[in-house]
Amino acid sequence: MKLRPLEANSPDTDMTPIIDIVFLLLMLFMIVINFENSKAEDRTRLPKDGLAKPPEVRPEHELVLNFGYKRNRDGSKAESTPTVYFNDRDVEVGRLGIELDQERRAMEQQYGNRVIDDVTVLIRADADVPAGLVQQLVQKCQQNGFTKFLLRAMVEQK
Amino acid sequence: MKFKLHLPPDKFNLPLAPMLDIALLLMMFFVLNLKLVTPQGNLDLNLPISAPNLVQRADVNLTDIKVGLHSDRNGVLTELTLGSKNLGNDDAAFDRLNREILQIIGRPGNPLTKDVEIEIDADFETQYRYVAKAISQCTGRIDAQTKQIARYVEKIRFAPPHKPKA
Repeated sequence: MKLRPLEANSPDTDMTPIIDIVFLLLMLFMIVINFENSKAEDRTRLPKDGLAKPPEVRPEHELVLNFGYKRNRDGSKAESTPTVYFNDRDVEVGRLGIELDQERRAMEQQYGNRVIDDVTVLIRADADVPAGLVQQLVQKCQQNGFTKFLLRAMVEQK
Repeated sequence: MKFKLHLPPDKFNLPLAPMLDIALLLMMFFVLNLKLVTPQGNLDLNLPISAPNLVQRADVNLTDIKVGLHSDRNGVLTELTLGSKNLGNDDAAFDRLNREILQIIGRPGNPLTKDVEIEIDADFETQYRYVAKAISQCTGRIDAQTKQIARYVEKIRFAPPHKPKA
């Protein structure tokens, strides 16, 4: 009797799902990378500096002051005067004294009268902001009893 | 007599492996290029409120160091000065400032310079980026060997703010 040899079965792996997933991941990264590059809505564009170091320990009491310009979608300045974004609203530096006083009182009520000596004011100022206004901001803080300051900058990678 | 031939349709085998290779390569490219968060860091700023330290240190011949930043009406730096010395207005000017400060203090971490203050005197309009850079160059540098920060001066003081140019 003559027997026919069996045909070798080629393993047919279904590649379609793996390609679907790879393309989905690819699209995700392409979209995310575009978001990262545009950053049009960022209020404060921090200055870059090689000496800025990421904090090893976060201060126990911190007051963050974002000082920058309202910007349009394309990143251009919407207003010529920078404002401090404080407690969910924009405040001009000249009018910040009342806000800082309220903040100090709230901190003292919560943590005690001596807390002000331990509060670190973290200034996140836009690179384009006039230095005179940053100085005024520091002065306002000092007038309200704040003594410790940190300036925030982007870490410049060479 | 008419015969209808029912042949099974030819299976079309599209080679998917090269497409998958390219897709994976593209994905690796985007993954490697992705920086979700640009790291942010702090510039330590010791701002003394008290009156300027005018005591001259005879042992190292040190008085307070004054750094001036002058700009045009748009805030662009026109002149960086150390005392009465003009250092220029480009990136190299900040490197010169760093070298000059090092010359003044002798060596990083010199205990004799612990009480020395640097006064930053900037025009009102000067963009904050220049002030941040000047503060950074005054406070130290990254040591090329250890990759750590070599501290020069820790106390920085702002001169009273100037009025805006009319």
